[in-house]
Amino acid sequence: MIDVREDILARLLEVVGSLPNIRSAHRNNVDIPETQLPAVIVLDGDEESDGAGDVSMKQPHRPYNVQMTPGIILQVQDDNVVLGSIVTTFRRELIKRVLTDTELNEQIVKTGRHGNGAIRYLGCQTDVGWTRTGYAALTAQFLFKYSLKPDDL
Amino acid sequence: MIDYSADLYDPVYEVIGVPATLSAGTAGEVTITVIDDTRRKTQASGSVEMRSVGPGAFARIPELTAKGIARDDCDGATLTFNGRTWIVRSHEACGSPNGEDLGEVRFLLKSSA
Repeated sequence: MIDVREDILARLLEVVGSLPNIRSAHRNNVDIPETQLPAVIVLDGDEESDGAGDVSMKQPHRPYNVQMTPGIILQVQDDNVVLGSIVTTFRRELIKRVLTDTELNEQIVKTGRHGNGAIRYLGCQTDVGWTRTGYAALTAQFLFKYSLKPDDL
Repeated sequence: MIDYSADLYDPVYEVIGVPATLSAGTAGEVTITVIDDTRRKTQASGSVEMRSVGPGAFARIPELTAKGIARDDCDGATLTFNGRTWIVRSHEACGSPNGEDLGEVRFLLKSSA
């Protein structure tokens, strides 16, 4: 059994969990106490296949091109004046590690000259606020394009 | 005309007010009475919620005035009460039917650590 989607999400959690100074990493946990910050959360997110636009007569279990967009959210509390640079550092490390992780790129998604997968950084959004200290969050999106092979599931 | 200071704030602060030490500007340490208004607070980013508290405290403007403290002097001040020390990061006047200057101020606090 090979489930590329699950492999991507599992490895993505490992990659973001290795970001510097992260205290906790979660998958699909949407209720984080402040004692676990800085925290990073991977949300499974959505995916779309090319099935809707495929007018061919191919067998339904033939491979599909799938684009999945998991969500990555980073939350941190700190002195308000340093939050900007902290979030900037997290963003930089996140992009670098996801786009250059060998296992994610070459073994799971299979990017590169001989693979038909792709990983793209789509963008990010930030939130700021106050709790007992300053609070900031970074929400980042990546696109993972992979080949879904129903026969392998 | 109802005297809100005598009929409302006095008995309320008598019952639930706690002693606090305020260090604002050049006034040195001043003892005032505050009402702890620390509330639970949730920050949401997308579908992810983070639970913390939003620390705050009410104080009476007539008491601050009597002790030589202007509201604007309080931003950046240190406020200690109920066993914790906070920094006043901002404040808001809460008004009063007898006029703003006879009402309360709510201090918005942040951790001093």
